[in-house]
Amino acid sequence: MASLQSRLDEFKKAFESGAPPYNAPHEAIETTHRATAELKASGIENIALKVGDRAPEFTLFNQDHVNVNSADLLRQGPIVVSFFRGHW
Amino acid sequence: MMELEALQEIYSEVRALGAQSVALTPELERYTRNVHKKLNLPFDILTDLHLKTAEQLRLVFVLPDYLRDLYKSFGNSLDRFHDEPGYRLPVPARYVIDKEGIIRAADVNADYTIRPEPSETIKVLRALKP
Repeated sequence: MASLQSRLDEFKKAFESGAPPYNAPHEAIETTHRATAELKASGIENIALKVGDRAPEFTLFNQDHVNVNSADLLRQGPIVVSFFRGHW
Repeated sequence: MMELEALQEIYSEVRALGAQSVALTPELERYTRNVHKKLNLPFDILTDLHLKTAEQLRLVFVLPDYLRDLYKSFGNSLDRFHDEPGYRLPVPARYVIDKEGIIRAADVNADYTIRPEPSETIKVLRALKP
């Protein structure tokens, strides 16, 4: 299986070509570039919690409406916590 | 999505190292349920309602108006997906948290097309193994 980054690069290339299946208009591509540049310039990457910081505890509903508590998970071992934007 | 698929590929290794994976999103359960089913994920997707956990990790940003308009034109109604009027998102991020609750790896990138390789995460977990 190709690396995650190479798959993302493929996607980016396809999206920015403006061709199907994305058919992204030129302005849409410009807009996403601008937004990414501004977000980077906001310094958010350095503001976010870092290695050595204590992670916040959370209790959140999973996809089956069952509460999942981070402390319960950590009692069993380390956890990988990944944030993603959504289904779109 | 690609992040989720990549995490799915390393899941058995994550478990073998005594760790677990969870994915967090501000989306309501009606959306996480579908993603979970569609990808047939072996780990949970958790609804970080109103981005409370993302806020504590300081990952939240407000979409500028022009980006909000673009998303709306694509039908990405984040207000509906998140049950809040403001268009806010977490910066894409992957954390490894050790048993004591301390962050041992943090990959935060404002550019959503740049993500760390899952193999890097495995390396971190391996180093944590007693």
